[in-house]
Amino acid sequence: MSEHDAHAVKAADDPAFQLPATLSSLSLPLCIGGVAALLIGWAFGSSIVSARFGMSAYLTAFMYCLTISLGSLFFVLIQHLVRAGWSVVVRRIAELFMVMVIPLGVLFIPVLATLLFGDGTLYNWDDPNYASENHLPKDAWTEKIRWLSQDWFTARAIFYFLAWSTVAVWYFRRSVEQDETGERAVSDRMIYWSGPAIMVFCGATSFAAFDWVMSLAPMWFSTMFGVYIFAGSVLSAHCMICAVSFLLQRTGAMRDEVTIEHYHDLGKYIFGFVFFWAYISFSQYLLIWYGNIPEETHWFYERQLGVWGAVSIVLILLHWALPFLGTMSLHIRRRPPLITFWAVYILAMHYIDLYWMIMPEAHLEVGGVAGIVCSLLCLVGMLSLMFGLVLRVADQTKMVPVRDPRLQESLAFENI
Amino acid sequence: MSENNEKKVHGLVAEYTSVDTLLDACRRVRDAGYKKTDAFAPFPVHGIDKALGIKPTILPWIVLACGLAGTTTGLAMQIWMNSIDYKYIISGKPYLSLPAFIPVAYELTILFASFGAFFGMWALNGLPRFSNPIFTDPRFDRATDDRFFLYIDAKDDKYDEGSIRSLFGETTTDYIQTVVDDDSSPKVPKGIFVAWAAVASFSVIPLLIVLKMRVTNSPMPRFHVFFDMDFSPAKDAQQTSTLFADGRAMRRDVPGTVARGEIFTDMDFMTGIDMDLLTEMNAAKAEQLVSTFNNPHFLQDDEEINVEKPEELEIDEPAPPTSESVMDTTPWLKKNPMPIDAKLLKQGKAQFEIYCAVCHGLNGGGNGLVNRRAQKILAATWIPPSKLNQPGLMQDVYPDGKMFSTISNGIRKMPGYSAQIKTKDRWAIVAYVRALQRSQNANIDQVPDEKREEILIEQEEVKQKLKEQAEAEAKAAEEAAQKN
Repeated sequence: MSEHDAHAVKAADDPAFQLPATLSSLSLPLCIGGVAALLIGWAFGSSIVSARFGMSAYLTAFMYCLTISLGSLFFVLIQHLVRAGWSVVVRRIAELFMVMVIPLGVLFIPVLATLLFGDGTLYNWDDPNYASENHLPKDAWTEKIRWLSQDWFTARAIFYFLAWSTVAVWYFRRSVEQDETGERAVSDRMIYWSGPAIMVFCGATSFAAFDWVMSLAPMWFSTMFGVYIFAGSVLSAHCMICAVSFLLQRTGAMRDEVTIEHYHDLGKYIFGFVFFWAYISFSQYLLIWYGNIPEETHWFYERQLGVWGAVSIVLILLHWALPFLGTMSLHIRRRPPLITFWAVYILAMHYIDLYWMIMPEAHLEVGGVAGIVCSLLCLVGMLSLMFGLVLRVADQTKMVPVRDPRLQESLAFENI
Repeated sequence: MSENNEKKVHGLVAEYTSVDTLLDACRRVRDAGYKKTDAFAPFPVHGIDKALGIKPTILPWIVLACGLAGTTTGLAMQIWMNSIDYKYIISGKPYLSLPAFIPVAYELTILFASFGAFFGMWALNGLPRFSNPIFTDPRFDRATDDRFFLYIDAKDDKYDEGSIRSLFGETTTDYIQTVVDDDSSPKVPKGIFVAWAAVASFSVIPLLIVLKMRVTNSPMPRFHVFFDMDFSPAKDAQQTSTLFADGRAMRRDVPGTVARGEIFTDMDFMTGIDMDLLTEMNAAKAEQLVSTFNNPHFLQDDEEINVEKPEELEIDEPAPPTSESVMDTTPWLKKNPMPIDAKLLKQGKAQFEIYCAVCHGLNGGGNGLVNRRAQKILAATWIPPSKLNQPGLMQDVYPDGKMFSTISNGIRKMPGYSAQIKTKDRWAIVAYVRALQRSQNANIDQVPDEKREEILIEQEEVKQKLKEQAEAEAKAAEEAAQKN
C-alpha cells in the first residue's frame, strides 16, 4: 500500500543473504564444546548431587531448547496461517530454529533411557514403590499408571517428535525450495497446510507438556499446563528471533532487510506474550488457589517453601512486572539494541521459569553451588549444541527467504 | 464556486488520486513549514505521520494513566469493601486476599484504559462536533471512497492563499478549493429540541416511579422481579418436597454407604447423650434413638419408613422459650469427648466463625451481622440469638452434650446444623464456645502474670475511648435537644 520508498530486492546470491563467515566458523567448536559441557554438567550433577538431580538439570536444559524450537515452529505456522507479510525477512531465522526439533528428538533419548532402570530416576511414576510409599489411593493410581506407563509414554514421545519434525521439515524444505524457484504456488501450499499443521502442533505440544514436565509430579494435574508451556515457548521464540536478527546484522548479514519496523513488531509480540505468560500462569494459580483442594495445591505449596518461594517471587517481579514495563514503550521497541537487550533478558528469565517448574520435583534445595553449576553447564551445553547446529544448517541456506513473493512487502513494511 | 468569497474561509484543500501523490504533497507541505495541516484518506496510510510532520500523540500516556487508575480503583474498591467496611469470610480466604482481587483489578485496568483510549482520542481530536466546514464541498464525500485530500488550516501562521495554491499546483492535483462555511442555517431545527425534550421527560418516568415507591406505602404485595431468587427452591433439612415419592426433600445416604469421615460407632459421640444412662432410665427412647442413626429399615427400604413416619429426635426440649424451667432429665454428656487441645480450639474457632458468628457474633455476644441487620430493619418475627456467655449456658447447667445436641438439631428459630457441620467439628465448636464463655467472664487474676500488664494497659485505653465516645454522644444529644 505504501511502498513509496523504493525498496529494491537484492539479487538472491547477494552476500547479505549469506551466513557471515565469522559465525559459520563457530559451528563446529560450538557443537563439540556444547556436547562436552552437557556431558560434564550431567555427570557432575548426577554424581555430586544425585542421579535425579543430574537428569532433572538435563531435562530443564532440554525443555529450554525445545520450547524455543517449538515456539519458532509456531511462529512460522501462524505467519502462514494469517498470510502475514511483515515477517518474511525474519521467517528464515524461525525456520532454522524449528528444524532443531530433529536433533532435540535425539537428545530426548537419555530421558527415555531413565525408564530402562525402572526405579523412578527421573519420573516418580516409573518407581513401582512410589504409590505404596506415599499412600496414594489405589484406584486413582491404577488409572494414572494406565497413561503413565513406560511403553505408552515412549510411544507418545515418538509420535510427538514425528508430528513436529514432519511439519518442520516439510515447511523448511518448501521454503528453501522457493529460494531457488520463487514460485508463488509454494507459498499457497504452505498457507493451505498451515491450518491442519497448527492443530497437530497444538495437540502434540500440549500433551508433551503434560507428559514430560507435569508428570514429574504424577498426582498433580492442571489442564492449563500445556498452554503454560506454550506461552513461555512462543515468548522465548520471539525473543530468540529478535536476538539472532540483531546478531546477524551485527556480523554483517541482512543489514538492509531487517529494519526498525521489524524490531518494533517483534517487540510488540514480546510485550504481548510477556503479559500472556503472566495471564496464563496467574490463571492456573488462581483456580488452584481458590479451589483449595490438597491434591492440586501441593504443587504450588512446594514452590512456596524455602528457596523456591523466593524464585516464585522473582518470577512475578522479573519475568512479568519488569519486562512488561520495560517493553511497554514504543521508543524502546524501535531501538534494536534496547529491544534486543530485553529479548536476551527474557530468554534468561525463561530458563528460571522452566527451572522453577522442573527442579523442585528433584526434591532438593537447588543442590547448592554444585547444583547451580551443573544446571548451568547443562543449559550452556545444550544451547551451544543447538546454536552450532543452527549455524551449520544456516551455512547451507540463505538468511532470508530471498524469492518469497511477499519479500517486497516485508521490506517496505512500516508501522506508523 | 467563486461567489463564496465573501464567506469566512477556513482553509484550503487539494484532492489526490493515490497514496503516493498524497504522501508526496504532504512532504512538500511539511517542508514548506506549515503546521496546522491534515490529510484525509479512505484507509489508514502508514508513514503519513512522518510525511506530514505530525508530532507523536500523547494518547499512550493517557491510556497508561487510566490503566493504572483502573488497577488502583479495582484494588482499593475490593480492599475497602471486603477487608475494611464489610468484613466477610468468603471461601475461608483471608479478608484481604490479593489473588482473589486481581481478576477485578485486571478487568478495571482494561476498562479504564479502553475508555482512556476511546475518549482520549475524542478529546484530542476535538470530537464530537456537529459539522465540519470541510463537508461543505460535496466532492469531499469521496474521502471515504477513493480520493485523498490534503488540508491546510487558515489559522496556520504561514497561511497565505496565493502561495499555498502555487504549492499545491506543484503537486499532482487537479482540484484545489477553499474551504468555506456551510450555506445552511446554523440554527438547530426546532423538531430536534422537541425530540430531545420528549426523550428526556420519558427517561425521567422510571426514576419517578422508583422514587414514589420509596416514599409511599402500598397495600399490594411486594413485586418480585426474580421470584426464584427471593424464594429459593432449595430445601432445608426436614422440609418436604413433591419431587420424590417419599416426600422427603433431603435424601438419605445411598443404602450401605456412609459419608466420608462420618462413620462412628460411638453413639455418645454422635448424640451428646450418655447412652448407658439413658438405657437405664428409658430403654425405649434409647432404642428409638439408636434406630434413627442406624435403622435397618432406612438402609433397605425407604418407602416403608415413610409409612412408619416419625423419626424426629424428640429428645430436645420441644422449645418453650425459657427451657430452664422445664425439668430436663436427659443424661447429657458432661464432658466433651474430643481431647481438648489448641488444634481443636482452632478448628472450633474456624467453624464457629463460618457458621455461628453471623448470628451469635464473633465473641458469642449474640450480636452478629444478621442480628444487627434484623435490628436495623426492625424485623418483626426476629428472635434475637442467645448470648452464649449468659449464665444459663454455662457448663454446670448446660452440659457439653446438650450444647452439641442444640447445634446438631437446632432450638427455637435456630435450625439444626448436623447436615452442614461434621460431627467432630460440632464438638470442636462446643469446646470453642466454652473458651469464649470463659474469655467473656474472665477476671484479671486468670491472666498469666507476664501478660497482665499488657491487658491492663489495653483495658485503660478502651475505657478511655468508651468514655470519650459517651461524652461525645452526650454532647451531640444535648446539641440536638437545644436545636429542637
